[in-house]
Amino acid sequence: MREWRVAMATYQEFIQQNEDRDGVRFSWNLWPSSRLEATRLVVPVSCLFTPLKERPDLPPVQYEPVLCSRANCKAVLNPLCQVDYRAKIWACNFCFQRNPRGPPNPLIFLYVVDTCLEEEDLQALKESLQMSLSLLPPNALVGLITFGRMVQVHELSCEGIAKSYVFRGTKELSSKQIQEMLGLTNPSATGPQGRPAAPQDPAVTCRFLQPVHKVDMNLTDLLGELQRDPWPVPQGKRPLRSTGIALSIAVGLLEGTFPNTGARVMMFMGGPPTQGPGMVVGDELKTPIRSWHDITKDNARHLKKATKYYDALANRAASNGHSIDIYACALDQTGLLEMKCLSNLTGGHIAMGDSFNTSLFKQTFQRVFSKDHNGEFRMAFGGTLEVSTSRELKVSGAIGPCVSLNAKGPCISENEVGVGGTTQWKICSLSPSTTLALYFEVVNQHNAPIPQGGRGAVQFVTQYQHSNTQRRIRVTTVARNWADAQSQIQHIESSFDQEASAVIMARLGVFRAESEEGPDVLRWLDRQLIRLCQKFGQFNKDDPTSFKLSESLSLYPQFMFHLRRSPFLQVFNNSPDECSYYRHHFVCQNLTQSLIMIQPILYSYSFHGPPEPVLLDSGSILPDRILLMDTFFQLVIYHGETIAQWRKAGYQEQPEYENFKHLLVAPVDDAQEILQTRFPMPRYIDTEHGGSQARFLLSKVNPSQTHNNLYSWGQETGAPILTDDVSLQVFMDHLKKLAVSSAA
Amino acid sequence: MEAKDLYIKPGNQERGWNDPPQFSYGLQTAAQGAPKRTPLNKRVPPPQLTGSPCPVPGDVPSLTAPMTPPTNPLAPPCSMNTPPRPCPVAAPPLGGVMMMATPPPPFPVVEHTDSASSQSENEPDVDDVVTLLNWALTACRHTVKKQVCNDVAKRLKLFEDMWKSGKLSLPVRRRMNGLVQELKSCNWDAADEIHRALIVDHVNEVGQWMVGVKRLIAETRNLNPDLLHTQEVDQSLDTSSTGNSD
Repeated sequence: MREWRVAMATYQEFIQQNEDRDGVRFSWNLWPSSRLEATRLVVPVSCLFTPLKERPDLPPVQYEPVLCSRANCKAVLNPLCQVDYRAKIWACNFCFQRNPRGPPNPLIFLYVVDTCLEEEDLQALKESLQMSLSLLPPNALVGLITFGRMVQVHELSCEGIAKSYVFRGTKELSSKQIQEMLGLTNPSATGPQGRPAAPQDPAVTCRFLQPVHKVDMNLTDLLGELQRDPWPVPQGKRPLRSTGIALSIAVGLLEGTFPNTGARVMMFMGGPPTQGPGMVVGDELKTPIRSWHDITKDNARHLKKATKYYDALANRAASNGHSIDIYACALDQTGLLEMKCLSNLTGGHIAMGDSFNTSLFKQTFQRVFSKDHNGEFRMAFGGTLEVSTSRELKVSGAIGPCVSLNAKGPCISENEVGVGGTTQWKICSLSPSTTLALYFEVVNQHNAPIPQGGRGAVQFVTQYQHSNTQRRIRVTTVARNWADAQSQIQHIESSFDQEASAVIMARLGVFRAESEEGPDVLRWLDRQLIRLCQKFGQFNKDDPTSFKLSESLSLYPQFMFHLRRSPFLQVFNNSPDECSYYRHHFVCQNLTQSLIMIQPILYSYSFHGPPEPVLLDSGSILPDRILLMDTFFQLVIYHGETIAQWRKAGYQEQPEYENFKHLLVAPVDDAQEILQTRFPMPRYIDTEHGGSQARFLLSKVNPSQTHNNLYSWGQETGAPILTDDVSLQVFMDHLKKLAVSSAA
Repeated sequence: MEAKDLYIKPGNQERGWNDPPQFSYGLQTAAQGAPKRTPLNKRVPPPQLTGSPCPVPGDVPSLTAPMTPPTNPLAPPCSMNTPPRPCPVAAPPLGGVMMMATPPPPFPVVEHTDSASSQSENEPDVDDVVTLLNWALTACRHTVKKQVCNDVAKRLKLFEDMWKSGKLSLPVRRRMNGLVQELKSCNWDAADEIHRALIVDHVNEVGQWMVGVKRLIAETRNLNPDLLHTQEVDQSLDTSSTGNSD
């Protein structure tokens, strides 16, 4: 027993050291040497990879010489290559891959602003946008599109009267038409015989995207003068919002002027799109925006069409290397369900708030421009990730804010998981916390000998544009030992990283939930959990009370319990937009934050000692404790009954009760430390026993009291479903019963 | 950054339910890259799997906490009259001073009150501040486009008018004074940082004119240093000639 404890301690250190150094967490740190054995382990060999994990000690590698980005080519840029200066692309003459060009390009920020807002909200938004001009990278290009019933593209000149180009909000235009109407296409740009013309500086020719240091004063005035959309909104109607057209103009504008350059479209909206392509709901207030109920009854009129529309826009933006942020502030839904792909495919942000005049929006928006300890912006652009593996492994796919680059090669598995069929992905915008889940397949045949002293290896090559416009490469190469699962299963077991595996499996579940029915995903999740317990649990057959899991797996069932109850899979407790918002952040964030989203952290503060983690269970709610719960999206401070009474009585004001004052302040300080840096800004709830806001805590720890604590069997396959509303205790009891059952 | 500029305001509970508190620019930038004091990232495995005893469920009505914190032998008058019983906890009970993971940070967590009329011994002089700004602008007029200089001048005038009509709060006035001092000493980055802090923390007061100051800093830092030194800052007779003509 002691030997395994030592092995466990060693693995925990090993896991942490590897994460600190490489930004990689593998589900298994000792790899089964055959495909058959790998499938028997239930959780696939997979990892979470944070490409831009902050590494203050790492010197940057300059992007020299300019190499072809195709994995099996890597030829160097040479005079035989065709170069398109305007589009900043060169074509490799060996493999014909189109590659982005070397010289640094300025970053671009294109604001797309909804003017159908209440006066107070519009004022707050205008101020935030004016403020942001001081936060942008100094040489960045900036642009402004406003929309309501019509869409206006503003010319940002340094002098004279501001001009704008107005588009109808209902008419769909092709990218070419948009560029023509904006005067961006220049027929004389191509020289004779189609050769690229002399290089032009697009910054000079594009009146709509200008350097912020040149136009900041005019743009500040322009923003200050923005009015609410003048089109009157009759009683019982919603404002006419042409979000779809506004976005297509934004994407088309960038496509025509700066393809393959780091750019962010930042869209600010105060309500749903109500006209034109991409409309999510009509303008009649009596027709509410679609709910889950509507969707399951196939009663969401605009859903399919709108989703398809934004999906197409998202793919276009992604292929141009441009990211799209959505800042949605309204009391009702705004259409995040239909529009989420715009951010999910491009690595853009989604912020969801009640009003632009809130700290939640203002601080979240400010933090987009946050800097690291070197004073450099955290955001990065134009990322590509390429993965190579040693030949016993193949790449099944990735789940995260990326699109496929469709790069073929020898490392690709036929079993696709997530975004598969490729070993290269594009992440148009990324931050130090952006994390992809990567799934591998072991391809060694059963009984094939393990390479002597052999280790499997994976290499991650990330190329990106730093916020200082410089291109950089980061190469991470990791290796793990192979092990024969027949003789070394306990070693493999102690190499299990339950935290990484929980997030990896959860991403798989969320990915499936986007295309499959909810109950099917829960069934699948349960099945995997039961199989894992059957494989690694220590028990006597048919004796549930004998069931034990070793330390390396002991937290895993609890993660799965909470995952099943989480808003990622229990959609009916939240609106479709809320669900999209939560899922978006879940598949972008790093391991620590993702785990908080699955199973919130709960700490208990008392007079009896330092703050301690406690079970996310109603048993942890005690009268003389203060609880701090972090769900990632909310921070809840809950005062137990006695504490609440003392607080109400004001004991904290009396000098002899100073330690009570400290007790009250301690969770507030810890919460504030989280609030100071988290992106996006969470909600902050200060509540107590009997308080109405206590429900945020109670819903996480208490199962429904009215539900019968039974489990039921599935209809089609007979596979067991563990119901959602049981307590952790009951869940564990059922799990143990099923795991030890010889009938299973 | 002064301690006064590190503060937290409550969120806007009227517009956003459970709106989180708002941190000043100084507090936010101080937190960047700083390691967490007390990382809250530990979890507890359920007892059913590890074999340790179950935690006592919390809904036992007669269970009460000690009536007072351990340092005080006096029982405070409280609605609960049942004799105190210690709670079952993992850690042994501590007499004496209660431990926290780490002491609270020394930031003053205060309500930020804007009071244009509040006076302190450090009340900056508007004319000093304006003079310094105009000194920089005059230096810029040699090389920077006329239109740009006029735009800057327009905004500096607005700033001056707002100050003189009592529309700017003390923190804004104080920090603008700090900004021009940095300008005078050619500490461009420091001046720039103050402008950023001001526009983040006080956008509603400074939003209309701060961009002029931003531009002024940007243009002045690019000037030939000789141009700056030829300007005499302290000559009061310059005040009228560098006033807003055109």
